Amino acid sequence: MSLELVIVTPEREAFRGPVKRVVLPGSEGEFGVLEGHERFLCPLRIGEVEIDGEGEPRFAALSDGFADVGESSVVVMVDTCELAEEIDVARAERARARAEEALARLHEGTPESDSNFRHAQAALQRALVRLQVAARRAR
Amino acid sequence: MPSLKDIRRRIDSVHKTQQITRAMRMVAAAKLRRAQDAILSARPYAERMRATLGEVAASQLEAGHELLEEREQVRARELVVIASDRGLCGGFNHNLVKRAEVEIAKCEADGIGFGLTLVGRKAVEHLRRRHPEQVTHTLTGISQVAYGHAVQLADHVAGRFVAGEVDEVLVIFSEFVSALTQTPRVERLLPARPAGREEAGEKPPYEIEPSPEKLLEILVPKAVQVELLRALLESQAGEQAARMTAMESATRNTEELIDRLTLQYNRARQAAITKELVEIVSGAEAL
Repeated sequence: MSLELVIVTPEREAFRGPVKRVVLPGSEGEFGVLEGHERFLCPLRIGEVEIDGEGEPRFAALSDGFADVGESSVVVMVDTCELAEEIDVARAERARARAEEALARLHEGTPESDSNFRHAQAALQRALVRLQVAARRAR
Repeated sequence: MPSLKDIRRRIDSVHKTQQITRAMRMVAAAKLRRAQDAILSARPYAERMRATLGEVAASQLEAGHELLEEREQVRARELVVIASDRGLCGGFNHNLVKRAEVEIAKCEADGIGFGLTLVGRKAVEHLRRRHPEQVTHTLTGISQVAYGHAVQLADHVAGRFVAGEVDEVLVIFSEFVSALTQTPRVERLLPARPAGREEAGEKPPYEIEPSPEKLLEILVPKAVQVELLRALLESQAGEQAARMTAMESATRNTEELIDRLTLQYNRARQAAITKELVEIVSGAEAL
């Protein structure tokens, strides 16, 4: 286990530790990284990351950013990252309701490129991912 | 000559002021510690970001980004002025606004147009009155700097830059040198300059997916946000440090004042007693 995973956000370091394998939500699809991966740089979309280390796998919700993969390290730089046990479910529920409402209001003939539309959609996605990740913690 | 009661009252009032300044000093000290922690925890991301962007920009010379492009002629400049919401922090805001005025004067002297993005109530109060037409955006009421604030500012200035309304964006903020010194600093935010390519040669080049252009599109705006976040965090720490110093010297001044007033009070008391004694003695003599 000499793959080191570091997840940093602009405000803090969210995770640092040795892992066996990490699965990341790449913009072109999910991908797993093991030790000895070639140097690789890839944007990430909003989604969940799976961290396989010692014992049970851990999960975290990421918002967009990118991953810098090296031979023995993976550095994930994202706007926000919350480990499953850190997620505030009530807050995520409220965020989802808010985003759905905003989308419903916009729906009539708003082009997909509209920035409000995209913001609301991204907010909805973040909320859904958080809820999904939070649900993993129950197991 | 003030009466004993007057002096007493004065001492009480100065004492109350002292309690306030002392409390403010302590609050500022606690907030300073938190602000410094925030700077430290923001550092890993900023450093990684700078390193990655530098490397990508160095190895992918053909891939450009609009926020990296130098313009031949600067016809308009956006100045992002970061001050604080509250006063009572010594010369902190004054120094910063003065520095901003210097930059404004430079623009005016060169015949360059300028826009102002103002952060903090003190910046708004001072600069809006003098240059009401130029203010393009204000951000006030920040109790704790968050990444979202940096994103909001970055969106605004990048929008103006891309739209061609300005050709250069400068940030004017207080650099947190130490708890005792904060110096106003001017940095160019846009067009962004990816730092250093020194590491590029050592490591094998990156495999980039889906494409370098796509990646830069994500990377560059984030790098701009990170720079703004750093300026906001430094300014936040600087404000608390300045307030701490200001309140410390205010507390010291009240101590001096209380000493002087107490001396005056005791003298007046002594004089009153002497006067009374004289009156009693001369009264007894008259009998």
